[in-house]
Order: sequence, then structure tokens, then C-alpha cells
Amino acid sequence: MDKKTVTTISYLSRLKIDSEKEQKIVKDLDNIIKFVDQLNDVDTSSIEPLTNPLEKTAKTRKDEVTAKNLKKELLEVAPSANEDYFLVPRVVE
Amino acid sequence: MTVKYKTIKEIKQMISQKEISNKEIIEEVYKLIDENSHLNAFVTLNKDRSIKKAEDLDNNPSDSSLAGIPIAQKDLFCTKGIRTTCGSKILNNFIPPYSATVIENLENAGCISVGKTNMDEFAMGSSNETSFFGNVHNPWGEKLVPGGSSGGSASAVAAGIVPAASGTDTGGSIRQPASLCGITGIKPTYGRVSRWGMIAFASSLDQAGPMARTAEDCALLLNEMCSHDVKDTTSLDENIPNFEDSINEPLKGKKVGVVKDLDLSSLDNDVIGVYENSLQEFVSLGAELVDISLPNLSLSVPTYYVVAPAECSSNLSRFDGVKFGRRSENPKDLEELYIQTRSEGFGDEVKRRILIGSYVLSAGYYDAYYKKAQQVRRLIKKDFDEAFSDVDVIMTPTTRGPAFEIGSKGNDPIQMYLEDLFTISANLAGLPAMSLPNGNIDNKPIGLQIIGNFLDESTILNFGHMYQTKTNWHMFTPEGVKQ
Amino acid sequence: MSWETVIGLEIHAQLSTKSKLFSGGSTEFGAESNTHVDLVDMGLPGVLPVANKEAFYKAIRFGLATGAEINQVSSFDRKNYFYPDLPKGYQITQMTKPIVEKGSIKVLTDEGEKLINITRAHLEEDAGKSIHDLFEGETGVDLNRAGTPLLEIVSEPEISSAKEAVAYFKAIRQLVTFLDICDGNMAQGSMRCDVNVSIKKSGDKELGTRAELKNINSFKFIEKAINYEIERQIRVIENGESVVQETRLYDSDKNETRSMRSKEEANDYRYFPCPDLLPVVISDKELQEIKDNLPELPEEKERRYISEIGLEESEAKIISSSKTMANMFEKASSKTDDIKLVAKWLVGDISALLNKDNIEIDESNLSPENFGKLIERISDNTISGKIAKSVLEEVWENGSDVDEIIQTKGLIQIQDESVLEDIARKVIDSNSDQVASYKSGKDKLFGFFVGQVMKETQGKANPKSVNEILKKLLK
Repeated sequence: MDKKTVTTISYLSRLKIDSEKEQKIVKDLDNIIKFVDQLNDVDTSSIEPLTNPLEKTAKTRKDEVTAKNLKKELLEVAPSANEDYFLVPRVVE
Repeated sequence: MTVKYKTIKEIKQMISQKEISNKEIIEEVYKLIDENSHLNAFVTLNKDRSIKKAEDLDNNPSDSSLAGIPIAQKDLFCTKGIRTTCGSKILNNFIPPYSATVIENLENAGCISVGKTNMDEFAMGSSNETSFFGNVHNPWGEKLVPGGSSGGSASAVAAGIVPAASGTDTGGSIRQPASLCGITGIKPTYGRVSRWGMIAFASSLDQAGPMARTAEDCALLLNEMCSHDVKDTTSLDENIPNFEDSINEPLKGKKVGVVKDLDLSSLDNDVIGVYENSLQEFVSLGAELVDISLPNLSLSVPTYYVVAPAECSSNLSRFDGVKFGRRSENPKDLEELYIQTRSEGFGDEVKRRILIGSYVLSAGYYDAYYKKAQQVRRLIKKDFDEAFSDVDVIMTPTTRGPAFEIGSKGNDPIQMYLEDLFTISANLAGLPAMSLPNGNIDNKPIGLQIIGNFLDESTILNFGHMYQTKTNWHMFTPEGVKQ
Repeated sequence: MSWETVIGLEIHAQLSTKSKLFSGGSTEFGAESNTHVDLVDMGLPGVLPVANKEAFYKAIRFGLATGAEINQVSSFDRKNYFYPDLPKGYQITQMTKPIVEKGSIKVLTDEGEKLINITRAHLEEDAGKSIHDLFEGETGVDLNRAGTPLLEIVSEPEISSAKEAVAYFKAIRQLVTFLDICDGNMAQGSMRCDVNVSIKKSGDKELGTRAELKNINSFKFIEKAINYEIERQIRVIENGESVVQETRLYDSDKNETRSMRSKEEANDYRYFPCPDLLPVVISDKELQEIKDNLPELPEEKERRYISEIGLEESEAKIISSSKTMANMFEKASSKTDDIKLVAKWLVGDISALLNKDNIEIDESNLSPENFGKLIERISDNTISGKIAKSVLEEVWENGSDVDEIIQTKGLIQIQDESVLEDIARKVIDSNSDQVASYKSGKDKLFGFFVGQVMKETQGKANPKSVNEILKKLLK
């Protein structure tokens, strides 16, 4: 875990670390990774990963439209919107 | 007639014997909130609606199980039309257009949601020191932490302001504050309570549960909180027993698992003493102590600190300033919108966990960290499955010690993570677990953890209630012992 | 230097379910912005996905029709990245275990039939739409489309030319429309594709570096884009440089491909199993039901049309090649006995009108019932074939009922022999010169008399009767 790695994962997470805090974050993250490294000592060669503690399968929905038109409520909670769309700064492809 | 420090059962009796009106109850609650504002337990109050609901009940009494009972709701649950912040700046202005299923269940049972409680930001923390809205204080001592992340809920109940509060528990966030504040709280089996409307931290670990003064009250609350919800496919479709039914069963012949591999060396002698005394109490109630082994228990903290950050790094991506929540001012382009909104909106602990999460999921590290942790997780679960073939419950201390001072865990995040040493494994395995007060050290409470088998909240509540008929630790308040 | 092209296609087909893959939001196209957005589609805090079983059934139909392996236990992964029309900041997709694996499809190329293998087909949710051109300095986001189920179909890199790529895409489109899993509407974006293109020297075993051409929505542009890209890659290599692995956009105005901004390269999607979604299981019973109810595919239809109905091979091929044509044919055929005439008109007059207006038959004003009626009226001699053409034109314009048109315009064929004979005599009497010429050997003048009778009757005379009567009278 070094400064370059932190910069890469910060960008992936869309986070900016203030330069004053940068050194501490790198140190904290490095310590955390070292702490979790102890997992490597365990033999898990034939063990299936556990994603969710419920060993069961999902219930599904019927193919029906149950949603109501929420346009007004949804655009109202938006930080920036006009009557029709959510708005963000112009995206250049 | 005061409602301070009263249990739900006691308040219900007061209502039915017409010793107090619903309106008087709610008015007193708001008075108590005011008097205790230094605790900073509440973020948003719901005064007008609550008083109105109480008045309506006085005019039209109801016999629903929680009719008129004031409950504080952790600010992680979406409440329709009422600000929901999750303790974060980024949701500072968020008013959800819908309510969580848990909230609806409790309100349908008649309760009055008096306000939203303060919490560690996005449920990440064990001391309620990471909230955007400031620290929560422990009623047992202003300089003390209440625990976290359900610090506000624990503090409100411990201070006697409300008889009960909702909490959530991902790595111990109900049980640990319950222990540090001297109250009772239970995290049910994963899937018992719907997660619809619960702002997600770590989807495979999060679970909502009640926090109250007694195991009996927790049983009553759990009855109402649990439901099968088709909107949440991780919600169980199993029979939900009446959790109050078996709380009085004698404990004779029941087996208590005592973990051989538990490293108690880091604990103070007082704490060990309190713990061992509780075990003896259960022996005198007729239970039998059985040594069990959970060989992978010590790996639960590192496992959790891979899995939980991984899930949260993805769950928190939706907070991007585009559709809801706070957005940074005048971003010059899209990149700036994302980076500034999130960097300004999230606190340091949240950022740390998102970064760890992104790291352990990134190409090249996934197998070594995330996949590995999920494999160890299965081992931890297997340990419990095997142990429960020999015992009915497993007991450990809930925390390493009583409440510590605000700011004392200082600069090392790992020190804070180790606070959850005893509680985390139950979340990884999806098992129910409860904390109840079992001692008092230097006028600071501490708790005992009872872990149960899959779907076996009833047995946990039975053990807890029987303990509370024989001991009076749950009657201790910061102002003295209740009579 | 002899170059070989290696092409693989990733086709995204929007499944024609009523509601979205993980929510009850409507998938209806063309609705007012942000009106079909459910709480779950929005990715609001605390919402959770619930899988739509119909999407799985449709995906399985595709798997069965391509002879693929079906994974009856489906799991889902999260693909994490940031974009305004991706509400949750991740897309739910199937990276590790797709629902369909290893199928194949026959494609008709210039060199004959070729089998193209399909690596996999998996379910994933679509994103919303970003609208860049409406506002100054801002982009608008419409989340109606967010959450719509997509089947991503990935071919093996076995396609060797732009033409072949188009043929493959057309074959897939035909298949998904016949299976009733996707409406194949390119203009509405129901099918989109990304193309991976690389070149190598003939005989080389190793594949060259590929470029990905993204989001091309028409057959014409796919062919042009690929051809441009092949030329470009050849130029690059012949200049001594290497092809860069990157994503490129096709500019249809300039007919060139351009490198997209490098953000794609910086993306690590950090796939991991979605913890909110437990695996979805399709039972053996359900699988059997899907098998039993698989819609008839083009080849089967063609065979049936030829063997059971007796259509010509050329007609059968044309009608069975398009789902909408086949539907029209089969429905109209139930309204009349003269099925062969239905086919003849479909392949002839109606196809001509479709080409002229550049539409599909189900976008026209002609309903199957009306079409069937038209053929029936020819068959029962109510109107002549020639008159029927004008009736068809009217129906085509405004969808009016065939019988109503016949009535209002008085187009009923004149069958009455005595009436026709009178008119024929009248024509003969007023054209004595032509009669003389005809009788002296100018056989071609027969057509003139027929024409005059038709003129007198505004075309309503039964042509066969006219012929017979005139023959008799002119003896």
C-alpha cells in the first residue's frame, strides 16, 4: 500500500484525499491491510466462498408493472433538476 | 407519574390503568429529550406528528401491542417525509419518499416514532464519534462514549428518555452500545427483519433489532419488527414464533457453550470476574456449562474488515450528488461533481472503509483478500454449526471493557476495530445474538453476550429473561438502581 | 501482405418483458422522461432488487434455440463504475456464471452457410439515458430505461468480414424476434452492438490486438465502421506501429472511428457477487415447460409452409424470414380459404408497398383481418384482382375496412353476363373499323375490345367473363 496505490483506488472511488491527510491515510490503510493479511495463514484450499449467510435461493417476481409514476417526487429530491431531467455538468464522450 | 426509566411493559400498564394519558407520555418524552440535549442522542425530532398521534390515541384507544409507546428510531431507517441522514453530511438534507418496512411494522403496531437518533456515519464505528452531527455522550458519564454505531439509540434508552429504540447491527452495533450503556439489545438471525428501507452498509451482515431495558421488552418489539418482506429477497420466509411465549421456561438441563479459544488475556480482571460470575448465575438457574471450541474465532475481525468494506464501497457508490442528497457547489465538470461531492460529504472513517473496500475488490487483489475472506467466513460459520450441535447458547463478554473516554482510541483505526472482537462473528455467521447488562465496574455498566443458533431467538430471550428475574443489573440507571 | 480479419460481436438485446429486471417499473418505450422510474430503479438508499422471472424464461429460450448449455442456477455480480445514468454506481450483471453458455447459430454468407459459435449470453440491467444536446453546459438524465433487462450475447471471434458480421447480427435479430424475446427494433435501440475487430497476417496463429467499436445501431453503419477500422489497422501496422487496445466510437458523418477518452482504460470494475441477490433457480419442470412452448422458428415455418400449405420455396423463404410477415401470413390465412393467394399478395404487392414506405408490416395500416378479407373478396369474385390493387392502396393509406371501401366506391365486380353482353355489343357496334381489322386477322386488337369494355364498366367487369363474351361475339 503506497501513495500510488492510494491515488488509484481513490480515483476509482471518486474520493480526493487532502494532501495534509494523505500520509496518515496511506499509513492507516497500510496497517489495515497488514492486519487483514493474517487471513493468508489459513488453509482454505477446498472451501467455497460464503457470499450471504442464508443458504437458500431467491424468490422472484411476476412480470407485472407495479410502479407508479413518481416523476414529481423524484425530481423534487434531486440536487439539480428541471421539470423533466436530472441535471449534471455536460458530459463529453 | 413519570415515564423516565420505565419499560414498555410498565408504560402499557400505566396506560391501561389510566394513570397517564398518551399525550402526557409524549409530552414528557420531549421534555426529557430537552433536559438531556447534552447527550446529543437525537438528530431530528418528530414532535408535532407524535403529539397528534398521541392525542388521537387518547380519543380512540387502541389495543395494539405497542399502542402509544414512544420509540426512538435510528437515523439509518428511511422514514417517509422525515429527514434521514445516516449520521452523514451527504444526506444532511435527504427526505425519503418512503419508509422502511421495520418502521412501518412498528408504527402499525401503534408505536410513536418520537425522533431519529444519532449514529456513527453510515453505521461505521464503535463509539459514535464519527457522526457529522457530533458525538453522542453516554448517560453514565459525559466524557464516555455510548458505543456505536447505534450510540444515539442506546443513549436515549439508557437515559430513560424512551423505553425502546430501533438499532442496526453489522458487526456489533446494537450489542456493543447496549453493553456500554447498560441496556438490553438483540440482533436477530440474518433475514428475520426486512432490510427494505434500511440504508445499506454491508448487505450480507446488516440486520435491524430492538434496544430496550429488558429481554422481555425486546421480545415484544421483535415480534413486531420481524416479517417476511417480498421486497427483500434476503428476508426469511420462515415461521415467526411469538418470542414472548417461551421466555419463562426453566433453564434446567439447557447447555451453555463457553468458548475455549476465547482470548481473555487482553481483558481486565474486573471484566473477567463479571463474566465468570454471570456464568455461575446461569448454573444456579439450572443450566450446564459446556466447553466448546470455535477455532477460527480470532480471524473474525480481519475477515469482517475485508468483507464489510468491500460491500460498503459498492453500496455507497450511489451517493454521488446526481439524484438525491447533497451536491458540492458549482462543480466545473462531472468528475469534479463526483469527487468533490463525495470527498466533502463523507467523513474520514467512511472514506477509509471505501478505500479498503475498493482495494480488496480490485483486479489482482480480489482472490487474495475478498475471496479469501469469504472462504474464512464459511469456516467461521461451520465452527458455530458444529458447536450448536452440543449446546443451546454460547456466551462471551460483549465488550472488552466498559465505556471508554471519547477520543481515547485516538489515531489507530485498528484499536477501534478490535472493540468488536466478540460481536463480529455472529454477523459473519448470520446468527442471532443479544447483549444484556451483567455488571457494573466503577459505576460503568458492562454486558454479557448470548449467541443463539440459527432462528433461535426464543432460547436467547429465555436465557436473558430468566437471568433478569434473578439479577438486577438491568435495573441500574445512571441515577441509581430502580426499585 | 495478406491480412485476415477477426471479428467478435457483443449484442445487447432488450428483453420484451413488461417490467424491469429487478423492479416493477415499466419497460414501455417512448414514455415521458422519468415516469417509469421505480424507487428501486432510482437506487435510493435502502432499496433492494427482486428478480423478474420472465426475463430468465426469455433468456433460456435463446439458449434452447441455439443449442446452448442452460445454467439453471443463476447468480449475479456487481460491475462498479460511475456514470450519471447508472443510478446505483454499479450495474447488476452476470460475470462469473452466465445463464446461457456455448451455443451456436447458422449464418448465411456469400460463401454459403457458416456456423458461428456463441460463447455466452447473460442477463444484466440496462442503464438510463444521458441527453447531451438539450441544455447549454449540462447533460440531462432520464432514468426510464434504467433497470430494463438486457440479454448480452457474446460471439466467439469467428467472424471474418464486415459482411459476415452484419449477416450474424441479422441472424441473431431474426432469432430473438421469432422467439418473442426481443422486438428487434433497431431504431428504438432494442438491439445494440459492440464490435471487436483485429487483424493478423494470413497463416498467423496469434490474434492481433483488438479495438472495440461501441454502440453501433444500424446494419449499414456496422458494415462501414468495421471496414473503416480494418483499413485503419492495416495502415497502422504497415506504418510500423502497433494497434492500441482501446474503445473507439464510429462517426457516421465522417465515416471514421475515433478513440474514446482513455477513461475506459482506467476502469477497474471490481466485480464481486451481489450480496442482495440470492441465486435464482429455474426448476426442471419450468425448463421443460419452456422447451414445450418454444415458438416456431423460421426454418420450421419454411418447411411447414412448403410441405403442408404447398407454397413455392421462394415464397416460403420470404414469408418465414420475418416474424412480422409470418404473423401476418398466418393470421390472414385463417380468414380465407385461398391461402396461396395470401402468400402471392404478401410476397408481391404488399412487399412492394413495405419497401416503398420502408416499414415493417406491423407498422402499416393493414390488419391481418382486413388482408384476409381482401383475399377472400378476390377469391369469391366480389372484386377483380386489378380492383383489389386499388382497394389495397386505400387500405394502406388509412386502414379503412375492405368491405366498406368496396361498397362506398361501388367496386363490386360486374358478373351479370347479360349486362356484360349488352356492353360488349355496344362496344362492337361503335367500333366497326376495329372489328373489321380484327376479323381480317389482326388478333392483337382483341385487347382493345377488352379495354373498351373495362373502360365502360370502370374496370369492374369480371375479366374472365368479358373475354368469353367477346370471343363469342367476335366470331
